[in-house]
Formats: sequence, structure tokens, C-alpha cells
Amino acid sequence: MAKKNRLKDLSFGQRIYITEILKGLRLTLKNMFLPKFTMQYPEVKFDPPASYRGRPVLAMEENGQERCVACGLCSRVCPALAIEVQAAETENEKERYPVKFEINMLRCIFCGFCEEVCPEEAILMSKDYELAFTNRADAIYGKDKLLTPVSKLQDRINFVRQFK
Amino acid sequence: MPKLIIDGKEIEFNPGQTVIQAAKENGIDIPHFCWHPSLSISGNCRVCLVEIEKMPKLVISCSTPATEGMVVQTQSEKVVAARNAVMEFFLINHPLDCPICDEAGECKLQDYAYQHSVGESRFTEEKNHKEKRVELGPNVMFDGERCISCSRCIRFCDEIAGKKELTFIKRGDRVTITTFPGKKLENPYSINVTDICPVGALTNRDFRFKSRVWEMAPTKTICSGCARGCNIDVWTRNNEILRLTPRFNNDVNSYWMCDNGRLNTFKHINANDRVNGPHIRKEGELIKVGWDEAYAKTLSELKSFAKDEIAVLTSASLTVEDAYLVSKFVRSINVKNFDFVKNIVPGSGDAILIQEDKTTNAKGVELMGVDSSKGGLKFDEIISHIESGRIKAVVLIEQDLIGLNSAFEKALAKLDFLVALATNFDTTTSLANVVFPASTYAEKNGTWINFQGRIQRIRPAVTTIEMERSLDGMSLSRWDKFGTDFDSWGKSQKNDARPTWKIISGLANAFGTKYKFTMAEEIFNEIAHTNPLFSGLDYDVIGERGVQLKTETMQIPPLAGQKKVKI
Amino acid sequence: MGILELIIVSLIKIIVIAVVMLLTVSYLVYFERKIAAWAQNRIGPNRVGPAGIFQPFADVLKLLLKEDIVPTAANKYMHTLAPMIALFVAFSTFAVLPIGPSFTAFGKVFSFVVADVNIGILYVLALTSVGVYAITFSGWSSGSKYSLLGGIRSSAQMISYEISMGFSVAGVILLAESLRPIAIVNAQSGWMWNIVLQPIGFITFLVSAFAETNRLPFDLPEAEPELVGGYHTEYSSMKFAAFFLSEYANMIISSALIVTLYLGGWQIPYLEMLKLPAGWVVTLQVVAFILKLIFIMFFFIWVRWSIPRFRYDQLMNIGWKVMFPLSLLNLLWVAILAMIL
Ligand code: SF4
Ligand code: SF4
Ligand code: SF4
Ligand code: SF4
Repeated sequence: MAKKNRLKDLSFGQRIYITEILKGLRLTLKNMFLPKFTMQYPEVKFDPPASYRGRPVLAMEENGQERCVACGLCSRVCPALAIEVQAAETENEKERYPVKFEINMLRCIFCGFCEEVCPEEAILMSKDYELAFTNRADAIYGKDKLLTPVSKLQDRINFVRQFK
Repeated sequence: MPKLIIDGKEIEFNPGQTVIQAAKENGIDIPHFCWHPSLSISGNCRVCLVEIEKMPKLVISCSTPATEGMVVQTQSEKVVAARNAVMEFFLINHPLDCPICDEAGECKLQDYAYQHSVGESRFTEEKNHKEKRVELGPNVMFDGERCISCSRCIRFCDEIAGKKELTFIKRGDRVTITTFPGKKLENPYSINVTDICPVGALTNRDFRFKSRVWEMAPTKTICSGCARGCNIDVWTRNNEILRLTPRFNNDVNSYWMCDNGRLNTFKHINANDRVNGPHIRKEGELIKVGWDEAYAKTLSELKSFAKDEIAVLTSASLTVEDAYLVSKFVRSINVKNFDFVKNIVPGSGDAILIQEDKTTNAKGVELMGVDSSKGGLKFDEIISHIESGRIKAVVLIEQDLIGLNSAFEKALAKLDFLVALATNFDTTTSLANVVFPASTYAEKNGTWINFQGRIQRIRPAVTTIEMERSLDGMSLSRWDKFGTDFDSWGKSQKNDARPTWKIISGLANAFGTKYKFTMAEEIFNEIAHTNPLFSGLDYDVIGERGVQLKTETMQIPPLAGQKKVKI
Repeated sequence: MGILELIIVSLIKIIVIAVVMLLTVSYLVYFERKIAAWAQNRIGPNRVGPAGIFQPFADVLKLLLKEDIVPTAANKYMHTLAPMIALFVAFSTFAVLPIGPSFTAFGKVFSFVVADVNIGILYVLALTSVGVYAITFSGWSSGSKYSLLGGIRSSAQMISYEISMGFSVAGVILLAESLRPIAIVNAQSGWMWNIVLQPIGFITFLVSAFAETNRLPFDLPEAEPELVGGYHTEYSSMKFAAFFLSEYANMIISSALIVTLYLGGWQIPYLEMLKLPAGWVVTLQVVAFILKLIFIMFFFIWVRWSIPRFRYDQLMNIGWKVMFPLSLLNLLWVAILAMIL
């Protein structure tokens, strides 16, 4: 029976490391002189593609009303317990709406589960990645910061429809 | 006992039972909407179809009597297909509404749609539209589109509440529920229909849209509305009680509770007027002080009165443990004017659940020796002595006397010194010199003995500052489990309140008597050891359903281990 | 030289060296980050000052302003003592390493070394061994499992590699017939650099030096994926900075040691053939030393960003089964060489 050649059967040259180490060193040295990919952040801003998961936002219809019906599914599915929803009754056809909708951005891990579970396409991952706070209270985003016009989210909505 | 075979399993049944009853008793769940164990059989939902050998067609298990040697299939191909078909029919006109519907999470239709439905509809036409948001009565809201016409609510009103208030109108797919002309759904048990409605068609107007069911943590406890002591679940979220629901106990309340108990017995617990920390009246104002200061003040004031100038009055809703320690303490300081306050509203009871006695533990308080048997004055005499100025100081335990009857205001105003153990600020505390914050029934462990002589446990559902949900073994929602102090749901209001027995042992300590109890359970164990009526009982034995005491046949011994202390 | 003069000259040297060391260390960190970035096609720090050259000061400032956290389970004294030992060891080692030849100025002979000790090499070996205490103490006194494991690992690792290091050095000493660093350098005049004469010794010493400084690929004491931060997990603020600085200072010392022992110190081959004035020679030689030093330091960083970490068993295997025999072999070879020369 012929001996099977396995990945860990190294040749002598490989076994004394030195040549392999030199190869590695050559590679990194070469890379030091190759062009750089860094984006100069505050001056040049990254415009993420539709698949990007920035902070979750709530979709707002043209009439200024949120799509969310406060079903609480996003809050339940959120693995980080970032979302808190308080429902209340409205006169609209969909009789339920969120009086309070808060996402704690310190808890959110940008997994996108909330977006995936939402039956109303109401919560969507935006392209906003600029999140910095100086205290805990600032990190809790209420409806004022979350509501975003649908027109601005069209990109993501198309993406979600295609792949969900 | 006769036997039948369900899904290959041989089970015994009582003659006269139907197949679904026999199955349920043996832990086999046959899906059903319209059948309810304590309502009559209607047989209109057709979900409980089963296959029975030697019967040509599938039959509904809810109305087929079980017979000896019957062979029933609940999972055969034919049954599954029929069940799918029935579910598809239900879902033709039922709106796809779960995100908005309040029932979601405890909805039978939702559950069965997951378990017994194919998940696809072949119905492409517009769904039926019916009336939504109909106020059937003061407490119940109806949504016609969600109704699946099971008739449970109608049967409940007819058979349990004994008031014919609801009925079907119209035919076919337009059938809907309404009240009889000129009537409303306003019987004292009306909200029970929201519990038995298998879908979200009937909702409790008090609870609508307050919370998702999975966000709350249920605690098994007892209703504090009257001497019946209905078994209930208290549902809390963020340390706040949002609703009460009845819990099945065949010996007490079956599946039901009254609307008054459901709506009016919990709102004070999270109210803003809770007594938060001990208060002392200084220059006419109640000022929050530390516990030690309040104890010291009470001690020094009470010492300045002769013993027969002092009276202790308790509510009849104390727990057995509270009452035991109160009476032990009162005997130890040799105060004889000692009684509990009855709260009986004649004519308010009925033959269903509601009792005339509005207190929860009159029997227990009596058994624990809260009485004037040591030669003191009874309640009425105490009041008249207060009025005549012969009693000058009163310790009032968990009893809003003036709220009970405003006539008592005159008497209490005459007192030189009034100590109140109270849960909320009320008209009585506005006359008190010292107010101790007492925990409500939803913040402590304990037992109550109902009018039948049944001892039942209450459990804490809301935390005070000295409690911690997980450490105290309280029920936890996901938010309670994983939240931190930095989350908004961790910042809910917690009051500085203590159960009465704890306040009393603090007071006793100031008087120089040490009680070494750290938990209500230890007090109960002492009672169980010293009082033959309670022998063999502990919290585990009482369990979730309670235990019937043999009150009539037993002598109640005097309190054990007295130690007399001079004031 | 009078005793006073000696003290003053030495003090000046110490201050100069200390300042230079601190600056070098800070900039070493800066270059480490830059080189890492380049190797990964990034730019690296470029915000503080032009091309980020003030980054080290920003770092120091940040570290200074951080809260100093001492864990409740820690042994307070040991916890504070450990970073001090680390820093002390790192800085005092440099005292015996010459960076240039002696020269005469103002009628006096000056040497580019703080203390020209005749057992200099022993001194270095002894001090680096003391460095183990810093790490072991910090690991033990933190009262944290990660720190403890890091500390234990490092003591095992350092002790293992010190042996091959010692034997490699023995080869050098054998040829130079002295323990004095200056004598060792002088013995490597022309092309008689030890790297040429005893390449195996050079390799074993180099590898051991990596292991001694806890640098990748041998940074097991602080292997982040397994041990969070290793022995300095529980350190913050300036105490952490002390460890950080000492790690880089150790790197400089190791590099200087390599240059001294194997790369001929300040020696430039065939320099004497140019017949330059003495001042020029000294300057060129110092520059040569510094260039060699920079190259070795670059090499340290370069290796770090090229080679992944060894497993612990591999580390021990290499130490005992490869490096130790190789250094013995080297010793044998040098002995033969010494007989021939
Ligand atoms: S899942 Fe969607 S509809 Fe439901 S509460 Fe969240 S955002 Fe609102
Ligand atoms: S993205 Fe994930 S973590 Fe963030 S809010 Fe949504 S579900 Fe929660
Ligand atoms: S009644 Fe049940 S199935 Fe219907 S919408 Fe409500 S939760 Fe969904
Ligand atoms: S309202 Fe509910 S209980 Fe009444 S018939 Fe409709 S589904 Fe049944």
C-alpha cells in the first residue's frame, strides 16, 4: 500500500523552519512596498453597500407615521436585549403602535436579527456607522433618532426583499 | 374501570366521560377550540376529529362518549389530513394579524397553525371584513374578524356567570358575536371570556396593548379581593404588575375569577402613593426617617401610656405568619386591647365565587389569636373607648380604618398617638404619628386561610429594595434574567417596605424581645410545630393548590413560648 | 580620573542613555505600529503630528491619564513591585553595552559605555534572569488565572531558553577570551564577526533572544487568544505602561547584545584603510553601531508580523531538543576553531 501524502508530512526543508520563515519574511517585506488600502476616515467617508449592517433604524412612511406595529418580535429575538418596545392603541387601521421604541446602542451587536424577524419591514439596518457617546444615557436611541424616511432606506429594503 | 385504547395506549376512564376527557386526563392532548372542560359541549369547531375503529367516518372526540374497548387514533393519516383541512378553513377568513393582535403568544389558533397546519393558504380572495373594536361591555373589547365562532364566550355567560348576555347573529361566514339588544356584557365575571376565547377576539380592556405575554413573568399566588382566595397568576414586567389571570384550582375557583378581583386588587401596588420608608410626623408633616428612628420613636411614645390606654388593631388580611408574630408580640408587651377589623359587605356575595367577607384571612387571623380573649376590649369597645378618651394610643396594622368607614375618622382624630403599618398613604395615615411601610401581598411570602378553611400560599411578584428577584426565587422574565442596573428595565421603582412580621420583629427588638426569624417560612414552621391544627404542614406541602385544614374538629391552643416584657 | 569626575561623567552618561532609551522605546512602539501597518497594506498612525510622529506622546499621555486599577484579589505590594522590577532590569542592562570605541577628547579618554565592567556579559545574563521575576510576580500577585498562567509560562520559557542562550554566549567568550563587552567587540575586527565564524551560535542566540524578550513568535506569556493579556491582564495605566516599555527596552537590549556579540559591535571592516582622522572614525563607528542596531530591531518587528505564534509544546520542543543541542554543537565548533586560529 502506497503511503498517503498528508499535509503534515513535511519535507526536510520545511521541517527545519528556516526556509519557510524566510519565505514568510519575504512576503511581508514585499507587502510593505505595495500600495495601501487605508481610507482616510474623517476626510474620506466609507459609503457602505446595501448589505452593510449599520445601526438599526425604524422606517417612517411619507405621512410621518412609523411602520412598526409594536409587535415586540424584534425585542424578543434580539440576542443582546437591546430593544425595548411599549405598545399602545391608535385609531389607525393597524390598531397598535409603539409609544416607546428604544434601542440601546451599547447593547446592540448589529446582528440584524431584528430586521430579519420584523413582519412589517419596519426595522432596518441602516448605513450609519458613526456611533459615539460620552455617557450611557446618550446611547439609548428613542423614536426621534430611530425614525428614518423610507426613501432613505430603499437600498436596504430592496436588498432585504431579494435575500430574505 | 372500563378501558379504551388511544394511539395504542390503553387508558382507563370513568363511565360517562367523552373521549377527549379521557384523553386529557391521561395526558394525551387532542386539539380543540370550542370544547372547554367546564363548559357544555358544543362540537362546532371540528378540530378534535379522531378516527375510531368500526365507525365509518371521523368523529369529534369532544362529544363522543368513551366506551369499553374503543380504539381511537388521533394521529392517523386521515385525522391529520382532516385537521389540516379544518385549520385551513379557519384561516380563510382569519386575518394575518398576529403582530398586532394581543393574544399572540398565548393564542390557540396560532399554536395549532404551527402544529397542525400546512402553512399555506389556497384562498386568494379578499378576506371577510367584520366589525372591529366593539365594546361589548365596560371591560371587554371584541374584534369580529378574529372570532372563530367557537361559542365558548356565549356558553360561559349562560352556564357559569348565569347571565344570558351574548349570542351569535347572522349566518355562514358572516356570523358574529353580539350582546342581546339593550344588554351589555357586564356580569361580574365578564373578563373570564377573554381567558377562554381561544383567539384574540375578546380582549381585556384594562390590559389591551400593555405588554406582550412573553415579556412578563407569572407568579402563582392568591387573589386578595375576598375570602374566596381565588388562585391566580400575577403577571409582572419591569417590577410592575400588569394583569392578573385565574389559575385552575378545582377546590376553590375552578378556571375563573371575578372582575373586581382582577381589576381592583393590584393597582395600588405600583401606585405613586406607596409608603416608601418609615415616616414620622414632625410639625404636622410626615417626614421620611430611618427604621431605627421610627422604632425608637414608637417605643418612647408607647411607653408613656398605661397598658390599658393602648390598643392594637389589625386587618383580617394579614398573612398567618404576620398575625402569629403580631399576637406573640402584643401578648409579650401585655397589651390586652387587641382585635382584628372585620370587613363584611352584606349582600355583596353570590353563589359563584364572590364572598361577602372582603378580607382574605379572617380565619387565619382568628386562629393566630388576634382577639381580646386575655381580658381586653373588642373592636367596637375599643372604638368607643377611643371616643371617650380612655384609649389614647393605637397601633393599626395594615388596615385603612377610615377608608373602611369614614365614621371612624372622628375617633382616630382623638388619639394622642397613632402608629400605622400601611402599604399606601391614605386617609388613615394622614392622622398617624408614625407610619411604617408594609409590603403588599404581592411583595411577600405567606399563607392565607380562606373561608373554606383552606390554607393557601401567596408568593412575591414585585420586589422591594431588600429583595432580589433571582436570589429570592421569584419568577423571572428574560428581561429580569439578563438585565443589568444600567438597563431601563432594571431601574424600576422599588419601595423600601417590609412585610408586617419583619416590622413587628423590629419593633419587638426595640422593646427588648428578640425574634430570630429571617423568613416567613420559619415562622410558619414554628406554627406548624406548636399548633396541632397545622402539624405536618410546610410551604412545600401547601404547594400550589393549598391544603384543607380540619378547623372544626380541632382545639386551638394558646400561643406557645410567651415571654412577658414590661413596657 | 578622579572619583568625582568618574561619578559626574557616569551620571551624564546615565542620563543621556536613559533619555535616549525612553525616546527610542517610544519611537520603537511607533515604528512597530507603522511597520505592522505597512506589512498589512495599511498606513498606520498618521493623525498626531505629521505622519503621526507625535503618536508616542499621545500614547504616553493617554496611559498616564488612565485609571490605575488594582484588583481586589491582588497582592498589592507585589503587584506594584513587578512592573518596577521589569523597568529597572530593562534599563540597567544597557549600562554595560558599548556603542562606540573609546576616544580621547580634552586630554581624557572617554568610552561610549556607562560602565566598562570586566564581567559585562555575565551581568547581562544575570539581569535578564531577574527579569523573569517581574513577570512571575505580576502573574502571581494579580490573583487572576490568566495572569498566573502567563507568569508560569514565561518563567518556564525563559529558564529553558536561557540555557541555549548561555551556551551560545559561551562560544563568543571562548573566541574573545574575555567577558568584557569591549573586548568582545575588539576581537571581531575586520570580517572576524562572530556571525561569520559561528553562524549556528548566531541562530541559537537570535532565537533565544526572541524567546527571552517574549516577542512573537514566542509571546506565549501574553498569548491573547488564550490568556487575554497574560501576566499583565490585570494591569492598567502606568503600571501597564511600565511592562510595555520594558518589553521594548528589552528588545533594544537584545538587539544591542546581538550587535555586540555577533555583528562586530561598532566595527566597520576595512575602515582603517581609508585613513580618516580619528574623530571621523569614531563618528562613523557609532553610526555603524546604530545602523546595525536599527536593522536588528527592524528584524524583530518584521518577524513579529510575519510568523505566527508557536504552540507551547512546540516552544519547549524547540528550546530543549533543537536549540540546546545546537548551541552545544556550536560550542564544539568554536573550540575546534579556537585551536585552529
Ligand atoms: S418586529 Fe417590527 S413591527 Fe414588530 S416591534 Fe419590532 S420593528 Fe415593530
Ligand atoms: S441588530 Fe441584533 S443586537 Fe442590534 S437591535 Fe437588532 S437584534 Fe438586537
Ligand atoms: S387571534 Fe391568534 S392567530 Fe389570530 S391574530 Fe391573534 S394571535 Fe394571531
Ligand atoms: S369571541 Fe372568542 S370565545 Fe367567543 S365565539 Fe369568538 S372565538 Fe369563541
